[in-house]
Amino acid sequence: MIARLVLLALLPVTAGLALLQRRRLYAIIGMALFSLLLASVFFLSHAPDVAITEAAVGAALVTFIYVLAIRRTGKLTVVANEVPGLFERSGNQLQGLEWEILDRLARRLGLDLAVRFVPLEEVEGSLLQGNADVGAGGLILDGCHRRLLRTPDYLPTARFSIMGPAAAETGDESEGAEGMPLRGYLSDIVDDVQAGRSVTIRLDLARFHALSRYGLEGYRVVRHDGEWGYAMAVAPERRDLHRQLGALLKQLRETGELQQMTRENLP
Amino acid sequence: MIRRETIASASRSSAVLAVIAVLLVGLFCVVVILELGYSGPRPIDVDRWIRVAEEAGATNVVSSIYLGARLFDTILEVLVFAVATLGVRFYLGTRGYKEVVQSIPESNVVRVGAAVLLPPVLLLGIYVVAYGHLSPGGGFAGGVIAASGLLLAAIALGTERINARLRPAVLHGFEWGVLLAILTLATLPAPLSMPLLSDPLPSGRMGSLVSGGSIPLYNAMIGVKVFLSSWVIAKHFVDHRGEI
Repeated sequence: MIARLVLLALLPVTAGLALLQRRRLYAIIGMALFSLLLASVFFLSHAPDVAITEAAVGAALVTFIYVLAIRRTGKLTVVANEVPGLFERSGNQLQGLEWEILDRLARRLGLDLAVRFVPLEEVEGSLLQGNADVGAGGLILDGCHRRLLRTPDYLPTARFSIMGPAAAETGDESEGAEGMPLRGYLSDIVDDVQAGRSVTIRLDLARFHALSRYGLEGYRVVRHDGEWGYAMAVAPERRDLHRQLGALLKQLRETGELQQMTRENLP
Repeated sequence: MIRRETIASASRSSAVLAVIAVLLVGLFCVVVILELGYSGPRPIDVDRWIRVAEEAGATNVVSSIYLGARLFDTILEVLVFAVATLGVRFYLGTRGYKEVVQSIPESNVVRVGAAVLLPPVLLLGIYVVAYGHLSPGGGFAGGVIAASGLLLAAIALGTERINARLRPAVLHGFEWGVLLAILTLATLPAPLSMPLLSDPLPSGRMGSLVSGGSIPLYNAMIGVKVFLSSWVIAKHFVDHRGEI
């Protein structure tokens, strides 16, 4: 009798716990717990048939269906190209301005953040194929990604072309010469520059800063005229996510947190 | 900062409201029960039902009721379940079916755990079905247990791989074939010139595995039906991420 009363009293408690969870997985586990308690109540009420069915349906089947369903929706999948200061690995940790913004978005939506690093040119394809929700990593989205949903520019940037050293020696000084857009990873370019190999590349401000730390003597550097900004891209079918990310960026800018985060990550 | 807090507090206050609503409904139920003067469960004519179970030859009185004396109710429930499956298939199968995103590989812990757990869970399901007329359980509970084992494997390997292995066309045939078999067994007494919905099979020795007349047969068929249909329903729900 006492056991049954205790279990009955625990039922609303577990139901409330399940309701108050912000992470979906914890809420699902709370519901499974509720079903198990209910099954024990049935068992103590001499209804073992009902108890078995309740345990099988509530604690097992429904829980598994929920887990399977949130496995796709419960994750915020980010494809990114590594950029120092914006989105980079540091040991086992991730850091950078964009990562902080996306981390905050994931927390707000109660999703788990999953990050995959890809070459820069594959970010767009991953989003269009629906393999990821958000694309990040110092993207300058000027018109060529029409099907992607893009956020407003959150940080102004500039473009640089780095050429040489061979081009500089041959005296090819044609004005407006422009490097190729980056393909692959910045670390490959860093290797080239350290080895003094010939490079013809167009980079954004954050990547250029990172590269210039390795010394660019002998290379010709051109700063392009014009105004650009970093933005993030959202997969076409995730309009809700695009709206949430836009709202978050707006809020961060209004409260001044964005400026502070920028100062911390890009000294 | 202020807005973020308001969003957080808004979701929290709605959760608190939900909790209060649940408590109020509970209080209402308690008041109603007190008003109506609930004095524990009503005495049941236990002897009568035990006689029913003895006639059917099943030690599980509950199963002897819903697969014996009240078989008609159960047949209709199975039909309702079949129609529900059909509805899920029809509405989720045709509307904007998207190519499925390739599944995210699951961690080794989950994969090995699922591989270890799948056979015992399936076996438990079969046991609960086979002993449905002797001990608590039966076709529905056992079928659901087995289906949850399958869903566990789906979590580890991805629904697509399990679905390909089960071969949807064969599964479809089995699902409806079993339903047909249940209906045939239920109407079998009529051509044998026995009372409708009575048991055409001998009841056997009470307490042994082969006893209870056609109750174990019904349990087995309902178990298969529930197992397959649960998988079909779960797969459709998962494919559509809960969006209709």
